[in-house]
Amino acid sequence: MRRFDIVTLDSPNRAPLRIEGFLFGEHHDNAPSVAIVGAMNGDQINQLYVASGLVEYLRRKEEEGKIIGEILVIPAVNPYALNMGEKNWPLDKTDLNMMFPGYDQGETTQRITARLFETLKGYDYGIILEGRRDQGMCLPYVKLIQSGYEDLDAVRDLGMGFVHYRPYEPIETAMLQYNWQLWETNAFAIVFGKNGAIDQSDSDEVHNALIRFLSKRKLLDWPVFEGKKSNILHSQQITLLKASRAGIFIPKVHCGAFVKKGEVIGLIMDALSGEKREKMVAPCEGIVTCQYSHPLIFQNSIAFRIASVEHSSTQERL
Amino acid sequence: MGLIEEVLTIELPVGESFRIQRCRYLPLKGESNKRISVVSGIHGDELEGQYVCFLLGQWLRENPEKIRGTIDIYPAINSLGLDSITRSIPFYGVDLNRTFPGSKNDFLPAQIADGVVEVMRGSDIAVDIHSSNIFLREIPQVRIAKSQEKMLVPLANLLNIDFVWVHDAVTVLESTFAHAMNTIGTKTLVVEMGVGMRLGKAYGHQLLDGLLNLMAHEGILDIDPLDVRFPIQSHVGEVAYLNASSPGLFVPAIEHCQVIEKGSLVGHIVSPLSGEILDDVIAPIGGILFTIRAYPIVYEGSLLGRIFGEKQ
Ligand SMILES: [Zn+2]
Repeated sequence: MRRFDIVTLDSPNRAPLRIEGFLFGEHHDNAPSVAIVGAMNGDQINQLYVASGLVEYLRRKEEEGKIIGEILVIPAVNPYALNMGEKNWPLDKTDLNMMFPGYDQGETTQRITARLFETLKGYDYGIILEGRRDQGMCLPYVKLIQSGYEDLDAVRDLGMGFVHYRPYEPIETAMLQYNWQLWETNAFAIVFGKNGAIDQSDSDEVHNALIRFLSKRKLLDWPVFEGKKSNILHSQQITLLKASRAGIFIPKVHCGAFVKKGEVIGLIMDALSGEKREKMVAPCEGIVTCQYSHPLIFQNSIAFRIASVEHSSTQERL
Repeated sequence: MGLIEEVLTIELPVGESFRIQRCRYLPLKGESNKRISVVSGIHGDELEGQYVCFLLGQWLRENPEKIRGTIDIYPAINSLGLDSITRSIPFYGVDLNRTFPGSKNDFLPAQIADGVVEVMRGSDIAVDIHSSNIFLREIPQVRIAKSQEKMLVPLANLLNIDFVWVHDAVTVLESTFAHAMNTIGTKTLVVEMGVGMRLGKAYGHQLLDGLLNLMAHEGILDIDPLDVRFPIQSHVGEVAYLNASSPGLFVPAIEHCQVIEKGSLVGHIVSPLSGEILDDVIAPIGGILFTIRAYPIVYEGSLLGRIFGEKQ
């Protein structure tokens, strides 16, 4: 293992920023290379945890001589934010994952992402550990955007239950996945966890999926159990259940639950009077892939996302 | 007097609703011929537009007989943010101006964006007033995406601003209010002036004159066009960016945006710890310094200023 600074940046007053990388194995003609990016925001503790756990696992596997290709792990892109409970770059509040591909003559965060991206270019596979961008938590899933450079076969080797495969949105052109794909890295994101927290079972699932991927893609000489068969979900298969009222949100089921049409899956209470404001009823049969995770819910917030085999009438993103 | 209406309400969890209010002015008699929306506070830390809204409202109250069209004033789009010094949509931390056109089915910021578009749909013109952010001070300027240049520059030239900046299209900017409105046929101008969290009275009056002039030309107000300044056009020159070469405290040598010569001193970056001057910030070209840093703490790369000058 080689531990090294990918980006360093002096600060006016605090200790310098260091984005550290952990490099395993070496270039091999018969094995691909992969880079894995952990917490890009300061609330992605789960992503940090999975990435650092992977570093420890790979360190041991390297000592056993089991690593064939080259594997780079970057557990924390934004340690400054992690160290102060911020989500974004602490001075100007820019989201580092909205600054790609970066610009080495530009603003501070563009320079950081430009230097980082120089290191990330050229890998065969790029895996981004992502948190949700809203107040939700979800079953771990793969987010693969359609840019024309994506590789659906590769993501199946993770053995994760759901792959959300969809066109990119305009803002995603400033994110790492899109730009990495443009530079011909097979890039995808694994979205999981609840921001600011660690979920052990989700973390274990993602950890195992990463090891499975490394093994199946012949970077790791180590047998693994088969994972799940991936369901490729398109936006039309996701049904949204929204809160028609704001208040205190009491979910009655959790991510991964199989729900029947008509089943009561959540309640909303008036936050002041305690009266029941809404009984949330599953509009279809399916699996709850995502639920609102804050105890106070806003009107029209998406309380649940339910994935069904059949296409739903409301079309939305996962 | 205008009609004050709540045009968007979204219930909040604890005994309150998020709201957007507008004040609408209509002709005293006869049909309205055109509709304009004057918008501020998409970013909750930008206040210059609130003052412009006040000045315009004050003028319209004093001159109701001049009104020939529908004039809608929306001083506070991100009302939660404005009242709490929060640039983004509170709770979500999302920049509203990266969330357009939004959707009813999505999270609160997207619902707000969608509501804003729906409320303003059908306006002939919209003027979206920003005041940079807390980091930078700007002279009054309008920014226009290259693809909208032909349609919007003639309107921008009426606004009594100092500078029209036509920039290359960036895909990310497809998620702005201006892009969403231009897409549905409302000619939308984005004004940047002043600095975040502060008020500059002179700029407010300057833009008021511009708005009155624009409405005179468009027949929304029955007044003579005003004698306004003609803005510098970005296509005749180039923009040079001054980025900090080292971290430290930026101490400007120039108080306000002004014309400067090539090689002149814009400011210093100094070290409070060692007492050293770390860098002299020198103008790489001559021209008008239309942006200058207002917030002194800088990292490498922090924008210190922008100069518009002749092509080299
Ligand atoms: Zn703004």
